[in-house]
Amino acid sequence: MNVFSIQTFFQLMNTRQDLLITALWEHIQMSLISLLIAVFIAVPLGILLSHYRKGAEPVIGATAVLQTIPSLALLGFLIPFLGIGTTPAIVALTAYALMPILRNTYTGLKEVDPALMEASRGMGMGTIQQLHKIQLPLAMPMIMAGIRTGMVLIVGTATLAALIGAGGLGDLIMLGINRSNNYYILLGAIPAAILALLIDTVLRLTEKKAKGSSLMPILVVIGAALLLVITPPVLNTVSSFGEEEKEEIVIAGKLGAEPEIIINMYKLLIEQETDYEVVLEPGIGTTDVAFQALISGDLDGYFEFTGTAIADLLGEEVVSNDEREAYEQAKEGMYDEFNLVFLEPLGYQNTYALAVTEEMASDLNLETIGDLQSYEEDLSAAFTVEFADRPDGYPGIQEVYGIEFSNVQTMDPGLRLGALVSGDAEVIDAYSTDSYMREYDLVALEDDENLFPPFNGAPLFREEAILAYPELEDILNQLEGMITEEEMQEMNFQVDENDANANDIAREYLEEEGLIQE
Amino acid sequence: MIEFKNVSKDFPDGTKAVKNVSFKVNEGEMFVIIGPSGCGKTTTMKMINRLIDSSEGKILIENKNILDMNIKKLRWNIGYVLQQIALFPHMTIEENISIVPELKKWSKEETHKRVNELLNMVGLDPDTYRDRIPSELSGGQQQRIGVVRALAGNPDIILMDEPFSALDPISREQLQGDIVKLQKEIKKTIVFVTHDMDEALALGNRICVMKDGGVVQIDDPATLLRNPTDEFVREFLGDRKDPWSELVSELFPLTEKEIPPAYDASSSLSASATVKEALDKLKKVDDDSIAIFENNDYRGHLSYRDITLYLEKNRVKTKGGARS
Repeated sequence: MNVFSIQTFFQLMNTRQDLLITALWEHIQMSLISLLIAVFIAVPLGILLSHYRKGAEPVIGATAVLQTIPSLALLGFLIPFLGIGTTPAIVALTAYALMPILRNTYTGLKEVDPALMEASRGMGMGTIQQLHKIQLPLAMPMIMAGIRTGMVLIVGTATLAALIGAGGLGDLIMLGINRSNNYYILLGAIPAAILALLIDTVLRLTEKKAKGSSLMPILVVIGAALLLVITPPVLNTVSSFGEEEKEEIVIAGKLGAEPEIIINMYKLLIEQETDYEVVLEPGIGTTDVAFQALISGDLDGYFEFTGTAIADLLGEEVVSNDEREAYEQAKEGMYDEFNLVFLEPLGYQNTYALAVTEEMASDLNLETIGDLQSYEEDLSAAFTVEFADRPDGYPGIQEVYGIEFSNVQTMDPGLRLGALVSGDAEVIDAYSTDSYMREYDLVALEDDENLFPPFNGAPLFREEAILAYPELEDILNQLEGMITEEEMQEMNFQVDENDANANDIAREYLEEEGLIQE
Repeated sequence: MIEFKNVSKDFPDGTKAVKNVSFKVNEGEMFVIIGPSGCGKTTTMKMINRLIDSSEGKILIENKNILDMNIKKLRWNIGYVLQQIALFPHMTIEENISIVPELKKWSKEETHKRVNELLNMVGLDPDTYRDRIPSELSGGQQQRIGVVRALAGNPDIILMDEPFSALDPISREQLQGDIVKLQKEIKKTIVFVTHDMDEALALGNRICVMKDGGVVQIDDPATLLRNPTDEFVREFLGDRKDPWSELVSELFPLTEKEIPPAYDASSSLSASATVKEALDKLKKVDDDSIAIFENNDYRGHLSYRDITLYLEKNRVKTKGGARS
């Protein structure tokens, strides 16, 4: 990747201003709402526990357990109950901030000098008066420290909420990781850091102002934060959430340019031929997140590959390496098992591939995966976590081709490309249509043993959605067999590398093919 | 005024802190409870403002059982001074003093006036100290505020729990002097807990000696000094002979009566007599003071109190921080 240039960064900031402002606003709202809820739960709970000290350690321990759950796991865990979007994100973020606020509130109150408590009791103060006049003001620095810790956790973790469709600055960071574009990563990360510092400053100043016996400034800040989060943008999202239940069709795509382009095609086609409104949720984190959201009814459909459906969702082996037979297997399995309808697949295949640089391919005379065996001792590989784990991924390569690389690292899809370019790894897993294959002159080695199952992309919908909107089937099946591997690669390239809008690219393609009118 | 009737206190862990204690504290009196640690003196005092509730017996204030009173109102009318001073560190001096008046819903002007009056009373300039916070004051100043805070709501009773024991000797002596003066001016009923016999002798109108949760002896300082009931009290009073052999002239200046009495061998004493001799003389005369003459000149009257105050001062100088 190129040398970092400040100029390019500011250019990007300028051109993606709208995206940045929306993401920043979503981030602020999500963070503040979570922080407020966490404060409203943890502070009163801390006060309660300071009166019933026996219960304190178990309760605080429970919040500490919440803290140890990896954030992505917690987000994923909530999907069956709360679906995707802002709600589960806020719940998870709130859970993260509970422990520091609760522990500090409890400790702060507990550590008020017992002599002061006795003095105030002896002077005839009631419990509430003691709390308000003595304990809370004295514990305030501790409580505020807890709130500030919680706030930093929230602002940081909120970047992951992008993976479950909650938006925020994480959208930009994921985009950057997915495209291996550091500028996008920074465009998300820098405002997140500034935001954390900014809120921290506001909290610190509030605390300073509140020195002494008055709790007023704290109430003022809470009030201001409340006002900020219930301003019109929230009302908009809230009202659009409400309408979702009616005539809106919600379609998601997993992280990346390709699913986003395809689901934009779905939207354009559906909206041209019906009055339904299609809401898109691009950039949903992983297969698991998208699938859980579909099962829970939060989504009506998303763009899925046949190979993924068979191996990951059904846990079966692919019966045949023939595209059609694999599709039939996926379609039947998904319907029998989950009542999900797989509509007709697109023309191209985005299958797994093992990729190496063109230079190395010619140096070592590599053409097929099998050719790697002679070099297994000398090569290190960088795989996605998914590829390293799935039976038709690296375990399959070990079994079918008998190849054991000397060193295998697992990392994020965007990062493994970086590892290849920087020379930290020689072999990566890749998707055959990904734009970087073209960008970095990579060669996909031939799968001569037919290990990788066919990966045809197709719309996966809930049966109820298809029954409710029967037109969908015909509309979306218009895309059956359309789009070649080269066309897809080109479109991905436009979005990933040229920063084109996925909707524009989708529209161009459909217009060229005469599927929609200009 | 305050009456304990067969009061006992058993703590949940089985400790019998106070055993069947009965006594009366008179209105306007400085009642000192003294005893070694663990004798139940603090527990006894805290039962008065119900920081600890008695297990058996009755405590009456103005003939009313304190359990029948509103607990907040009871506490608003009992000032409380703690050993740890316990000024609220986040409040200014004025805010600290104003707490009980505010709880009693006094008007702002009234409270403000009261704060000024009290600060003047203990020799702290209101304009200088009103807006300071406790940590900006010396230990002695802090406890002055502690005392003033207890007085703020104009209570009839003040409880003092070893209020001066955390102070340095010089501040302690000053505050002891202040509290004696204050007591004369404001005529409050004060229950004062200490483990320091010199302090008890210097301050108390009456001294209540406690041991193992029971009362051993209640008497005024002079009687206590003359007639300790048992070996325990005698030992607790300790060895005070050395300062007692000092000459009476060491105690000058004395309070002079307006009309100088004529020398009378039965009720007068030479300034060259020892303190011990002066005390013996006091025991014999039918008065609480005797006239002192030096070379046939009247120099004033010597009282028990003069002697005890002198003993207290003397102890500090000669024995440092040693405790009886």
